[in-house]
Amino acid sequence: MNNLMTKMGVLLLAVFASSDGFGEEEPSVEQIIEQVNLRDEGQAVSRILVMTLTDRRGKTRVRETRAFRKYFGDEKRTAIFYKKPNNIKDTAFLTYDYPDLNKDDDQWLYLPAMRRVRRISAADRGDYFLGTDFSYEDIKLETRISTADYHHILLGSHFIEKRKYFVLEATPVDDKTAKELGYGKVNTIIDSSNWMITKNEFWDPKGHPLKTIDFSDIRLVQGIWTAHIIAVDNHKTGHKTHFSFSDVDYSNGVNDDIFTTQSIRRGL
Amino acid sequence: MEDNTKRLHSGKSYRIFWWITGHPIFVASLGMMFVAACLAFIPKLVIDPKAESFLPKDSPALVYREQVEEIFGLKDPMVIAVVNKNGVFNPDTIQLVDWLTQQVLAIPEVNQDRVISLTTEDNIVGNEEGLVVTPFVESLPVTQDQTNEIAAKVKDFPLYLGSVVARDSSATLIITEVTEDSHAPIVYEKLMTIIAKAPIKNTEILHVAGDGAVSGYLSAYIISDAARLVPISVVIITLLCVLAFRTVQGSLLPGIVILAATASSVGIMAAMGDPIYVITTSMPILLVGIAVADAIHIKSEYYEQRALTPTLSKQAIIVHSVNKMAKPVLLTTLTSMIGFLGVYFSSYMPPMKSFGVYSMIGLAVAGIFSLAVIPAMQMLMPTKDSAAFTSSNTRKGDKLAQFMDGVGRRVLANPNRIIIGAMVVVVMGIYGASKLEVNESWVDNFQTSEPIYQADIAINKAMDGTSNLDIVIQTPHQEDLFLPENLRKIEALQFYLESMPEIGGTTSIVDYIKQMNRALNNNDPSEYRIPDDADLISQYFLLYSASGDPTDFEEEVDYDYQQALVRARLHNGRLQFFKPVVENAQTYIDENFNTRQIEASLSGRIYVDYEWLTNLTDSHFKGVAFALVLVWIVASLSFKSILGGTLALVPVGLATFAVYALMGALGITLAVGTTMTAVIALGIGIDFAIHTIERIKYQIQVQDLSPSEALQGLYPSTGRALLFNFLAVFIGFGVLGLSHVPPLAKLGVLIAFAVLVSFVASITVLPVLIKLFKPRFIGFKKGTDINTALIADVSD
Repeated sequence: MNNLMTKMGVLLLAVFASSDGFGEEEPSVEQIIEQVNLRDEGQAVSRILVMTLTDRRGKTRVRETRAFRKYFGDEKRTAIFYKKPNNIKDTAFLTYDYPDLNKDDDQWLYLPAMRRVRRISAADRGDYFLGTDFSYEDIKLETRISTADYHHILLGSHFIEKRKYFVLEATPVDDKTAKELGYGKVNTIIDSSNWMITKNEFWDPKGHPLKTIDFSDIRLVQGIWTAHIIAVDNHKTGHKTHFSFSDVDYSNGVNDDIFTTQSIRRGL
Repeated sequence: MEDNTKRLHSGKSYRIFWWITGHPIFVASLGMMFVAACLAFIPKLVIDPKAESFLPKDSPALVYREQVEEIFGLKDPMVIAVVNKNGVFNPDTIQLVDWLTQQVLAIPEVNQDRVISLTTEDNIVGNEEGLVVTPFVESLPVTQDQTNEIAAKVKDFPLYLGSVVARDSSATLIITEVTEDSHAPIVYEKLMTIIAKAPIKNTEILHVAGDGAVSGYLSAYIISDAARLVPISVVIITLLCVLAFRTVQGSLLPGIVILAATASSVGIMAAMGDPIYVITTSMPILLVGIAVADAIHIKSEYYEQRALTPTLSKQAIIVHSVNKMAKPVLLTTLTSMIGFLGVYFSSYMPPMKSFGVYSMIGLAVAGIFSLAVIPAMQMLMPTKDSAAFTSSNTRKGDKLAQFMDGVGRRVLANPNRIIIGAMVVVVMGIYGASKLEVNESWVDNFQTSEPIYQADIAINKAMDGTSNLDIVIQTPHQEDLFLPENLRKIEALQFYLESMPEIGGTTSIVDYIKQMNRALNNNDPSEYRIPDDADLISQYFLLYSASGDPTDFEEEVDYDYQQALVRARLHNGRLQFFKPVVENAQTYIDENFNTRQIEASLSGRIYVDYEWLTNLTDSHFKGVAFALVLVWIVASLSFKSILGGTLALVPVGLATFAVYALMGALGITLAVGTTMTAVIALGIGIDFAIHTIERIKYQIQVQDLSPSEALQGLYPSTGRALLFNFLAVFIGFGVLGLSHVPPLAKLGVLIAFAVLVSFVASITVLPVLIKLFKPRFIGFKKGTDINTALIADVSD
């Protein structure tokens, strides 16, 4: 309840801020992060996700999926059902992300050719997610900013077409965290008009450019700001990931039963 | 004498030399400017130490290999080998491997994602619920029990046995790749520093090796080798000139020719943007010896002339001597150039072509400098008589001339023995040539005492081998490599390859598929097989991607699952060893692949080496034949006699046979360096014969000496100059014999030997043959007793 109150409070603050009441004064880093993290993501969402993975030679793998996500309190559950190509049709992936950092996430994959649900050992936070250039941590955060893992500073702001963007620089709190995440530094660009992240730039722990994530086609869907295209460019491997979302639906709710091993086995 | 001197005063060449000596400052500064311009380009030189440079950039084998490397993201690896005769599975050694791995990862020029070692790699195992991809070493072991657990996991994962960990556990590798090939030398240095300061607690021995390391170290190695040898050869050659002329001028002027020859060959090479290859580093050293020869002949003639006609003006003496030597100098320069032209035309390998062309340029410049710049400079320098040439002893000569005179007497008195000796050399040479074998490995560029050579031996002994034969599998459609029937063909190919004793082990995507199948079937060893369902295989890969990296299988299969790489590791990279492997693999592929469903083709370092090495014998004999014919034509034209041309070939022919005989006797194989021996020796050795014939001819036709006087007269004058010429060339190549790069050392020794034989034959076999055959082109009268002079061809 307390949590909800602060959320409400900050939301009010956000409204206040966008209505010029903030004046010309720059918000603090903490305020920016709060704005981003309190933005409504919808309690549950269903959508069609097309993953296009491209290797350094330009060869692509296209995977069409139906993806669901729902918050159970602070616990986040995701289910992805593969539709195409045929050889992985009906394969399904289920994950429970626990807010407690010390509790390993649970993950399962259903392989129709084996007719069995396989438990996947807990991935490290820095591991790549299902052959994409996202790490498990990237997927878990979605468009949030972690305050537990990083120290943040405000690098500055700039205007593009009269819209103000903040640039944050995040450095992992310690070497161990950097190693776990696989990142030495992350720069984040935030659109001040809707508090959406538009771009993330990552460096590896040794300071080499690692990857860039671009969020685009950002539109309001049922009152919720939604990036319909998320593209990752891995500078080290030349590998690319392109997520394209469609049929995004926040309003109809998602049945809790979808997030079970029985459901991924049964299919939609 | 008077008439002869008059003849010298006429003719076009005379006018040219009169003009040159009349404008000494102009000619000398022009020459120096040319040298300076050439030197200015030298800093532009780049080094290309890679074995691939031996095939033309557009050769199909190389182009294909580059495509394959691009598809599968392959680069030449560098490896640190940790060898422990007591086995690597103990806490200390594993900690050492981890320490080394961390050090390697900290090198900025190393591709972080491609560092493979026991402590970076993941194991694929199953548990009751699913697939687990976890590091072999999750935390560093402290106890032997913990290490034993790791050992058990590794030994249960066939893919890493023989490639990352020795099958007998005696060694393990840390494999790394550089981000850019040009960083290889730096990375090699850094790896050597790392192993030098590694905290060794146990009985581990560390090595750095691998193709990347070889090419990384080779550039530094060849440059330091050349930097050591060039000064040695310059000093020795200068000392030789001091000995020959005993004047400051006589000792320094040949140095100008050396400088011009080496600067022009290397400078123009740099200006043309050609890199310096292992083999072309020897060029300056060879040119030092060859280039100085012309200067020696001209200076000898100058001092001789000066002693004979001390009353003439300095300019007149210079013009006389240069004019007299112009023809033989031009001719010998031309023939030497032909030798290198032979290297150029017979070879399809860029380093050889480069070697041929730029040596030719150096020789041409040496010829021009000897005939123009040196006379001009001589005009500008104060001159003294040479103690070696004084009017009182010119006829008889100094001690050396007397020595040569004695040699001549003995030779001319024993023609039969000389001919028999020559015949023996020919027979031995033919036998040697018939046994000539090609053999070469890139690591043979190093002395056996070099750490990198030792490393190669140690790794090849412990592991499956460092030389790769790659077989590229190609299918017509995307994801055809999920089809079990295709995978089974690859598996059968691997079984076949592994049945050959030369092959230590093979790796392909099939090994990973079998490992995943086993992991997902309760780690049951009998499930280490290809599943029957293509969909299942594709789902395995999806499952793997839940914990693996997107680029994990990049080296084994392309992103479309349409092309795969089967890599076979061989213990030895020498042609004699891998030739049957390549040929058997090709036959197997022809019989079992290349259908509409699946194709296979050979690639990899081994196949590229196979391509160029198997052509080496052909190109070798082609080059020898080419040079022989061309030299013969030039000599025949020059003497206006086919017999003359043929006679001139005798000493070099003998030298070539002698080289084959020596190679056979010492078991030296035909390889990068040695393949050029015969052709170069031919071009250089012919000079002795030309000078000999010219001198005898001159003495008979111009000086009107009787044939026997002429033959004996050869020795103290030309014989003496030839001795110094020979010594210069012999020492030039001999210095190369001191090279720490074995192919260059072999090349040097063999050519020095060939030059020795050419020289000896030119002053023994050749005069004897002339004595026996009495050829008319030299000026012998028809029949011994007929006194009709046949001075037909003294037209200029």
